[in-house]
Amino acid sequence: MLSLNARLLIAASVVLVAFLGLTGLTLDKAFRRSALAAVHDRLQTRIYGLLGAADVDAANGLELPQALPEGRFSTPGSGLYGQVADGSGRVIWRSLSLLGLRVPFPQAQQPGTRRFSETRAPDGTEFFAMAFAVTWELGPGEEQRYTFQVAETRDQFAGQVAGFRRSLWGWLAGAALVLLAVQGMILRWSLAPLRQVAREIAEIESGHGSLLTGRYPKELRHLTDNLNALIESGRSRLERYRNSLGDLAHSLKTPLAVLRGTVEGDPGPQALKEVVQEQVDRMDQTVHYQLQRAAASGRTALTAPLAVAPIARKLTSSLTKVYAGKAVQLRLVVDAETSFRGDQGDLMEILGNLADNAWKWSRGRVTLRAHGTDETSGEPPGLVLEVEDDGPGIPHGKASEILGRGVRADPHTEGHGIGLAVVRELVEQVYGGNLYIDRSPLGGARVRVTLPK
Amino acid sequence: MRVLVIEDEAPLREQLQARLRTEGYAVEAADNGRDGLFVGREYPIDVAVVDIGLPELSGIEVIRRWREAGRDFPVLILTAHGRWQDKVEGLEVGADDYLVKPFHTEELLARVRALLRRSAGWTQAVLHCGPVALDTGSQTVTVDGEPVELTAYEYRLLEYLVMHTGHVVSKTELSEHIYEEEMDRDSNVLEVLVGRLRRKLDPERALNPIETLRGRGYRFRLERTDPPTADDREIAEKPQ
Repeated sequence: MLSLNARLLIAASVVLVAFLGLTGLTLDKAFRRSALAAVHDRLQTRIYGLLGAADVDAANGLELPQALPEGRFSTPGSGLYGQVADGSGRVIWRSLSLLGLRVPFPQAQQPGTRRFSETRAPDGTEFFAMAFAVTWELGPGEEQRYTFQVAETRDQFAGQVAGFRRSLWGWLAGAALVLLAVQGMILRWSLAPLRQVAREIAEIESGHGSLLTGRYPKELRHLTDNLNALIESGRSRLERYRNSLGDLAHSLKTPLAVLRGTVEGDPGPQALKEVVQEQVDRMDQTVHYQLQRAAASGRTALTAPLAVAPIARKLTSSLTKVYAGKAVQLRLVVDAETSFRGDQGDLMEILGNLADNAWKWSRGRVTLRAHGTDETSGEPPGLVLEVEDDGPGIPHGKASEILGRGVRADPHTEGHGIGLAVVRELVEQVYGGNLYIDRSPLGGARVRVTLPK
Repeated sequence: MRVLVIEDEAPLREQLQARLRTEGYAVEAADNGRDGLFVGREYPIDVAVVDIGLPELSGIEVIRRWREAGRDFPVLILTAHGRWQDKVEGLEVGADDYLVKPFHTEELLARVRALLRRSAGWTQAVLHCGPVALDTGSQTVTVDGEPVELTAYEYRLLEYLVMHTGHVVSKTELSEHIYEEEMDRDSNVLEVLVGRLRRKLDPERALNPIETLRGRGYRFRLERTDPPTADDREIAEKPQ
């Protein structure tokens, strides 16, 4: 897996090279074209020069002077060559520079027409050449056709192009390097938050920190918030285990002490039996309760919401099976979208305990309701669970006792006792919700649980 | 009635076995899931008590495979956790009731009795068939209110016949459900037992409660007469 740095660098470099390359090629081509146009113009100017220098001689022929304004015509091997041919193709003038050289000049047919060509001599030298056909009026009514031809070696052109190229690519390469360097700096700056996250995590791992505390750009914030939530829930779970173990050890001390005391007092078999029974029951409840407490998973970040309806259905069909001897009519009011954010085991524990109580005490009717709440319903957003039965209900004093303090470390067992205590612990301590007990319109108890989002 | 107990903890298993035998059940026992699965599949069983946490094969798996094989005797699961998720899982896969460890043995016995009654279609502890009333809780029998003294095996035989009143029960079926596996069964013993039951229940030969169908077995002839109330009083308070 390529690192982010590598990816960005490679991508940027490729784009840069492609762009600069393309620019370079385009500029190069444009320059060539313009240089070629210049050659064209130059040759044309030379031809006009020759035309200007030409004159009719005494014999009604065309002649050109030895010394031409353009000195290069007169210098052998100068790279600039000229020639004039008559209508039949016979060469009537050659520039001195043409000495011994054979330059393939182009031919122009129609007077007034021009022909431009890039040619190559038999010895390999390359030329730009132009031919211009004219009709010269030698005398009244006497016209002669002439073709003026000029050629130039490629050297000048090639030199210009090469010079341009050197400049161009030199500058482009320079620009590329500068851009890459700037890119590198931009990368470092942009990826700084990621480096910061990595650094903070390393600190947490080594024990120097506990949460991600930096300020992060909005793209990372969701990630860092969730990470913090994960760290937090892990820590609170650990805390819960420790507390439960502590409470468990503490609560077991009393029954153990009682047992020890009883044995030391050398009681009769019946008395011993009673005490053992009693204390075993007590220890059993405590163990059970604390196990439930510790086993609660709570809400972890990054969990998908659970649909409440299928879980409610599973539970109620299980209870119907278990209480098969009792004909209980169930009303289940949960719609498909109602969802719970948290652990499935915890939801089953909450609903299971409430429903079990309802079934146990009911005379034949139980209603289970669950619905989500949001701002529009007037209640804080979250989930509401309600279980009602038509049994005897919970007396007010008992309800206060269950909801009051002191039930946590050492619960009593009496019908609603442990079950509701477990539910309360889960709802209040683990999910930050609330438990309410009142009377149901059906006649029995109504227990209502509200869980925030 | 034949009970299968699958529990890997020896002291608990032995305790249950002993107690169930005292209560008049023929008990088969296994200490791991694989053996338990086999016994439940191959032998006639009336009710099973299965611990969830077993070596080799979990209790849940055992129950699932029993149900897939069409074995539909009632099952009571024992769970150490007591979390609703585990209870629901067990019940979903095919168990009929659960008990959280540690439990009161009386509670277990009561639930096993309830399961047996329910599966035979009875909802109450006392089975009424005309003048005959069989109390499965106290394991006593009365005819027209007068108690009848029965030996352990006589009671077992009568209970099985009454539970399946109206149905023909073969001698093989009877001996399979009343005796434990290793016991030496003699079909004559059954005939003797039936004879004794007839004499005790019906000294004047007026009722003829048990009918012999030659070559097929026995049938309890008196029809069920359930009194009106419908709640199952035998289900004791369930601890959480």
